[in-house]
Amino acid sequence: MNRINIRELVLNFIFMMLLQLPLIYRVTLFNKAFGFFYVGFILLLPTKLSRSYLMFIGFCSGLFVDVFTNTPGIHASACVFVMFIRNFWLMVINDEWQGFTNLNVATLRRTGFFGYLFPLIFVHHFILFTVENGGLHLFGSLFARILYSAIFSFIIIFAINLLVKLNSKRI
Amino acid sequence: MKRLLDFLYKRRETGLFLVLEILSIWLLIVYNRRYNASFLNSSNELAASIFQVSNNVSGYFQLAEINEKLVNENEKLLQQLTLLKQKPLSYKDTIGRFSITRANVINSTFSRSINYITISAGERDSIEPGMGVISSSGVVGQVKSVSKNFATVYSLLHPNLLVSSLIKRTNTKATVQWDQEDYDKASLKYIPRHISIKKGDTIVTSGFNSVFPENILIGVIEEFELSEEMTFYEAKIKLATDFTSLKNLYVINDLLKNEKDSLQYP
Repeated sequence: MNRINIRELVLNFIFMMLLQLPLIYRVTLFNKAFGFFYVGFILLLPTKLSRSYLMFIGFCSGLFVDVFTNTPGIHASACVFVMFIRNFWLMVINDEWQGFTNLNVATLRRTGFFGYLFPLIFVHHFILFTVENGGLHLFGSLFARILYSAIFSFIIIFAINLLVKLNSKRI
Repeated sequence: MKRLLDFLYKRRETGLFLVLEILSIWLLIVYNRRYNASFLNSSNELAASIFQVSNNVSGYFQLAEINEKLVNENEKLLQQLTLLKQKPLSYKDTIGRFSITRANVINSTFSRSINYITISAGERDSIEPGMGVISSSGVVGQVKSVSKNFATVYSLLHPNLLVSSLIKRTNTKATVQWDQEDYDKASLKYIPRHISIKKGDTIVTSGFNSVFPENILIGVIEEFELSEEMTFYEAKIKLATDFTSLKNLYVINDLLKNEKDSLQYP
């Protein structure tokens, strides 16, 4: 129960990247909302991993995405930051987080899932778009892009999680 | 000493955090130098081939649209050819200063604050960093870095790319730079106030540097403003190239680049 299934993690990672990379900047709604749903993978890593591991995995997956978007360092730094504050946030949002290993819709409940994921996705996207923009100028359109992208990413992550949950029930 | 080590051990997570962040920032700074051969970009073989596969799939559904574009382009070229045949060739035309390489777009963005295009031509097609890239409708960008089979291109929709240009009617030199707002508009800078410009004036490349040949369309003036205290006009142009549907591009190699540059920047 409390063991971390490494094989499953690696498979998850490969699946996420294969889904995300060809589609990055191609899943775009109204030229404003981009879906960076790979963040869901690193945010939902098991709680038993130490923070150093979390940051390192975040850095690697961020850098991997960076190669595809011509932004070396931007995704990586955003991911590392989000992984750094992840456990603090989990502590704030949920008292019993130490009790469970896996983070998903079932363990966090729906409201907890939103409350845990959305602010972190927002922070991630905020760093991402602000650094790419080179500052806070044109704040209106920048903020719209951050907010819509965060909502869009969250919806995709939520949908993927529901699908996975339904599948595992059937088996 | 032991206390110091204990302290460091206790703070190892914060330390790792700082190290990784500094590493990211360093990568970003190194990448933002104008041209580089870094493998950390989309002209990287692995990244580019994944993009090519996904492009092959999506390209299949756009065949009709692409075909129509090419037919139109063909027609335009035929018209130009008949015009050229009527004129006697001048000395300059016979030198053949520019060689042109065709390339396919395999990935491009237009709605980010910095935009790049990945094309399927690289070292093997003798593409080098710094070469200009155009489409049949106008200027597209400049090559940033090259791998064996692929190249990453600065889109005109990148704030670091400045294009030396001319207002065709008045022959005034100006600079086109993207202002990060809309993907079909850019700003036109450094037009002195004694020149009178009009809405609809055509902006073309100047040919003063060896990136683009002269007289390649960039766009038309859409709006401009000149208040009392300004030295230069503040103008916006509508770009001729539609960055949302780039498919076939042409990379321009100036064969006399070295000769020209050696005279201009001794």
